[in-house]
Amino acid sequence: MKYQTPAALALALTAVASIAFAQPETKLKVALTADIRSSNPGVNRDDNTDSVMLNVVEGLVGYDDGGDVRPLLAREVTQSDDGLTYTFALRDGLTFHNGSTLTADDVLWSWKRYMDPKTEWRCLAEFDGRNGLQVVSVAAPNPKTFVMKINHPSALFLNTLARTDCGMTGIVHKDSLKADGSWDKPIGTGPYEFTDWKRGRSVTLTRFKEYKSPEGAAADGYVGKKDPHVDLVELEVIPDPATIKLAVASHSIDVAQITSTDVSELKSDPNIVTLTSPDSSKHAILFRTEDPVVGDVKFRQAVAAALDYNQLVDVASDGLSTPNNSAVFPGSVYFDGVQKSGLDANLDNARKLLSESSYQGQPIKIIANKRSPMPSFQVALVTQAMLQAIGVNVEIEVLEWATQLDRYNSGNYQMMSFSYSARLDPALSYEQFTGDKGKQPRKVWDNPKALELLEQSRAVSDAAARRALFDDLHTTMLSDVPLIILYNGLTVWAHAKDVQGFTPWEGKMRLWNVELAQ
Amino acid sequence: MLRFIVRRLLLALPTMLISAAAVFFLIRLIPGDPASLMLGDQVDASSLADLRQRMGLDRALPTQFVLWVVQLLQGDFGMSIRTDEPVLRLVFDRFIVSAGIVFVAVAVASLIAVPAGMLAAWKQDSKLDIGLVGAATVLLSIPSFWLGLMLLYVFGYKFGWLPVVGYVSFSEDAGMAALYLILPIATLVLHEVGILVRMARASTLEVLRLDYITHARAKGLSETAVLCRHAFRNAFGPTWTLIGLVLGNLLGGIAVVETVFTIPGLGRLLVDSIFGRDYPVIQGCLLFIVFVYVMVNLVVDLLYPLFDPRVTEE
Repeated sequence: MKYQTPAALALALTAVASIAFAQPETKLKVALTADIRSSNPGVNRDDNTDSVMLNVVEGLVGYDDGGDVRPLLAREVTQSDDGLTYTFALRDGLTFHNGSTLTADDVLWSWKRYMDPKTEWRCLAEFDGRNGLQVVSVAAPNPKTFVMKINHPSALFLNTLARTDCGMTGIVHKDSLKADGSWDKPIGTGPYEFTDWKRGRSVTLTRFKEYKSPEGAAADGYVGKKDPHVDLVELEVIPDPATIKLAVASHSIDVAQITSTDVSELKSDPNIVTLTSPDSSKHAILFRTEDPVVGDVKFRQAVAAALDYNQLVDVASDGLSTPNNSAVFPGSVYFDGVQKSGLDANLDNARKLLSESSYQGQPIKIIANKRSPMPSFQVALVTQAMLQAIGVNVEIEVLEWATQLDRYNSGNYQMMSFSYSARLDPALSYEQFTGDKGKQPRKVWDNPKALELLEQSRAVSDAAARRALFDDLHTTMLSDVPLIILYNGLTVWAHAKDVQGFTPWEGKMRLWNVELAQ
Repeated sequence: MLRFIVRRLLLALPTMLISAAAVFFLIRLIPGDPASLMLGDQVDASSLADLRQRMGLDRALPTQFVLWVVQLLQGDFGMSIRTDEPVLRLVFDRFIVSAGIVFVAVAVASLIAVPAGMLAAWKQDSKLDIGLVGAATVLLSIPSFWLGLMLLYVFGYKFGWLPVVGYVSFSEDAGMAALYLILPIATLVLHEVGILVRMARASTLEVLRLDYITHARAKGLSETAVLCRHAFRNAFGPTWTLIGLVLGNLLGGIAVVETVFTIPGLGRLLVDSIFGRDYPVIQGCLLFIVFVYVMVNLVVDLLYPLFDPRVTEE
């Protein structure tokens, strides 16, 4: 009995000490410009949804900063000599958010779910043979090994698995589905757990304490060091840019994507950090080559020579970006000296080319939209002014985005100011606009040589050989001018000064490695 | 009374049917395809055809319409193309949010505007009248998004008295919910006060010129008694009708205020759905708004005799 009092005292002191030294829960408030479409990765999605969900789920492989594909849930990926069989050795100690250990059977289950047409996976056509490539068999020979066999050698197989719009082919646990087989919520393996979704209002993610980061000293695309530090992330839906600016300025929000026009104002606040994050999306002027005037290569070359790219990009990006006439983004391992060579502004040459073309002064219509933060209208406006300088009569037709997308898909336009979504591999980037116009009217380039080069680049895996193919494609594109790629997209962000380690990538927020200064 | 209500509800049916048909066909006249919007700028023809088939968009338009009407008659408003949620639940959940704000805003605006309008009429051509009418004109001329942003700037950012972003429902935390709703309600109140003051003033002026008011004054009644007991009931009738119209309008669309103040209401849902070509939600929202409009005006009509007994006699 005599020891009871000191023991109780010790217990009490321990309790007090544990309370005193307990770390307070850290919370990061992030603005979302729109609500997520669903919590089902790669299924009902848009860029905004991918940005959130890729903090929750991970695939077997993921992109690094340069657009190369690296193992993610896999420890290593080996390819058979015939290039048809891929073996994924899974990393040790990986667990789902519900505590279950990740095994090859889980990968197999996830893959079968994606390939079931009822799932409505966005990338089903990329793997079921409709677009050429087909996964002919999958197997889980042991808990740590997953094997996939494809129908022909492909340089893009792993790339497509890693694509962000495919939800990185994220592996989810069976319990992500309800008992009736419908989608419930993602139980993934990513650094953050999907905790709550108040539709139209907010999404809450919590730190996955058992998360095991891939190897790496720093963040590297969707691979590399991925340590979640913040306990709670609240993503608030704030659709109005002016409200976002006020929310950042008043420190109601810690991190937000802002418009480029707000940078200078927010920059003046010493407690706010602004940063720009370039990505592989492309802003371009498209030509409909079936059009009698625009179809004349001399006319297109005249337009290309009439544009002052530095000035145009300066205006369209509020001075935040620089021109790039290549379909390969500057961070890519394939962006070499040839890709850096672009189109030159030369008004005399432009006038000469125009006089040699079939253009007779008739009005040319360029379609644009005012969807924020896309620079479609600004690009059209500056283009109009620059083409007027060589005597081309340009009219701008402003359409709402859905209407413009309709016109783009049907090829119903003369010229169009358009932004292509991000594609990291050059073959996928060229594929966005190269192809048979008869089958897919959205394509603008069907030069047989280009089609052949692109086909080869899809099959060849050797980096040097691919680089040569992409260089040839670039040179041919600059001469054909089926479109003029102006510059790569960038997103502009602002965050509170006490937020450290926030590095968005490809326009998406990476919530790992982010810390809040105490 | 019951016959009157039933007759009005039956009369609403053709309105609803015509609205349904108009909404269905007009929204489809706008170019843009929900399936291609969903799949983005890089979509192969087979995936697009698959999705269109799953959405039922590959069927002939009259077939789609008939199927939709049959669904409606069974109480099924369909599912959202964008979010896979039942439309009726989605619309109702968002309506509750908007309705809470709108009812409070209209009630407060009426409580301010009606006495102010009557006062202005009573003191016609005085400095008070000019001031009130001038203020009302300024308020109704200010765009609500600008007014909302200015209130956010002053009370949220400069003074830091009220939250800048976010929304809390009353079921979660009533105190916090009230705090979050002060600025959006104030924005609506300031805007609607302008409209209602002018109407209250005009109808009061009309009544004050009538013989029975002169008679009341001649009897020696005080001005307060003349205004409150005799003028108010007759002058309030037209304002009451306007309140009904304002209420119906606002219940259907405060998208701008909801966007500025990040409120997940019906107006924002409708605008987002239009941009996303979410046909079932657009149809559901608009049909629901028509229904609410009809119901609000029915209630206004039913309560009208309280202020003007002549209506009952008619």
